Amino acid sequence: MADFLGFLGRYFLKRVAALGRSFLMMVNALCARPDFKRHSILLVREIYFIGVQSVIIIIVSGLFIGMVLGLQGFNILKDFMATGSLGTLVALAIIRELGPVVAALLYAGRAGSALTAEIGQLKASEQLSAMEMMAADPLHRVIAPRFWAGVISLPVLSLLFTLVGIYGGKFVGVDWLGLDDGIFWSAMQGSVDLLDDLVPMVVKSVVFAIVCTWIALFNGYDCRPTSAGISAATTATVVQSSLAVLGLDFVLTALMF
Amino acid sequence: MPKDGGSIVQIRDLSFSYSGKQIYKGLTVDFPRGKITAVLGPSGTGKTTVLRLIGAQLRPDSGTVLFDGTDMNSLSRRQLYSVRKKMSMLFQSGALFQDMTVYENTAFPLQVHTKLPSEIIHDIVTMKLESVGMRAAADLYPAELSGGMARRAALARSIALDPELIMYDEPFVGQDPITKGVLVELIADLNSSLGLTSIVVTHDVREIMDVADYVVILAEGAVLGQGTPDEIRSSKDPRIVQFINGDYDGPYAFHLKGSGDYLEEL
Repeated sequence: MADFLGFLGRYFLKRVAALGRSFLMMVNALCARPDFKRHSILLVREIYFIGVQSVIIIIVSGLFIGMVLGLQGFNILKDFMATGSLGTLVALAIIRELGPVVAALLYAGRAGSALTAEIGQLKASEQLSAMEMMAADPLHRVIAPRFWAGVISLPVLSLLFTLVGIYGGKFVGVDWLGLDDGIFWSAMQGSVDLLDDLVPMVVKSVVFAIVCTWIALFNGYDCRPTSAGISAATTATVVQSSLAVLGLDFVLTALMF
Repeated sequence: MPKDGGSIVQIRDLSFSYSGKQIYKGLTVDFPRGKITAVLGPSGTGKTTVLRLIGAQLRPDSGTVLFDGTDMNSLSRRQLYSVRKKMSMLFQSGALFQDMTVYENTAFPLQVHTKLPSEIIHDIVTMKLESVGMRAAADLYPAELSGGMARRAALARSIALDPELIMYDEPFVGQDPITKGVLVELIADLNSSLGLTSIVVTHDVREIMDVADYVVILAEGAVLGQGTPDEIRSSKDPRIVQFINGDYDGPYAFHLKGSGDYLEEL
């Protein structure tokens, strides 16, 4: 029993210490005089790696999720003679929940894990130390641009996911199952609100972007510089980001809707 | 002790432990300015740790590290980074940035710390690459270089800002005899031509004894012996003799400490 309590205490202390280190990392990375001329090049490059290269997976996933939602929704609504509400169902489900959440989960798997592995590798090959010794702070040159790139990319990816998802629902409902075009879109127009639905969605995806990117960067920066350490850190990134996204989604939904 | 020019790095009564293991206890050592100092010692004594302590990448538990009269551990993050411009370190792996060419790697510190126009940076980089004989490899990526070339490229990068102190972390590990010779020559050449101070951590005793002005032998968390190469060679301390000659058994036993009774264990 005493052993177990001791283990619990040590585990807790280790977590708190890691949390503290991760805050320090972010504060030191972000609190710096911005050097737009030099850092904008780094930022654009990272947006390409983090954002642009995730576009394909976001589009394909969004399309299929929208299509499956259209199919299931149509079959259920048919029993109630309410297929006219399909546009509302698809749009609200994707805008309010699926868009930001699934995009963030995909982002954590596609870009977050890559970020962790990349930074872990930089650390293992002493490139981060080399930067420190060359008096080029790796927090400013490596961590900060990746963080901002993530915070910019994920909301855009979520919007893209939402857009493609709604079209996926439309392909199934209207083009395949024969629902009227006008009814589909007008139901959507009547129920989706800019302030009540779209703004909370963007807020959600910005929060997810901050959390996922932060988790990914910290796990890479704090990993043991060995191959086993990098692989453990990559796994931790995906697990922690996924749980954080799902947990925060509930909190944000409860607060905003 | 060192005379002319004083010491560029002074370590005083330094203790350091890493994940519960005491690496240094009361270490006091000086590194003379303008000289090549070799830091020798058995593997695992934390020779590389000394370099990281000098660069303040690690913080000691107690004691001080003075670089050019500045206490490295009293500095803010910003001050520390400005002091680090005066020193550079050649990492064991080279630590070249993999996504940049040799040229870009060498230009990196200049681009970060100076506002020089690109033509002047080009000239400086070309001169640095010429001094390590790597001008022909300027457009290659680190993955295309051999180990020795990577180290020479990293050396060009670490002298780009004309530092006062350059620290070499195991520069000879895994190199063929010719490359070792080249690196020894480069260390000696750069030290005299650029007027800098070199600290070379290594366990290749023969290679470094030829060029070093001063030798420090570390073992068991403290200085085992120090002096000019001749003084070290003529030392009577059996532990130094064993280390210099590379005898497999002696005061440092062949069998690791803590080996129990052999027959019992069988």
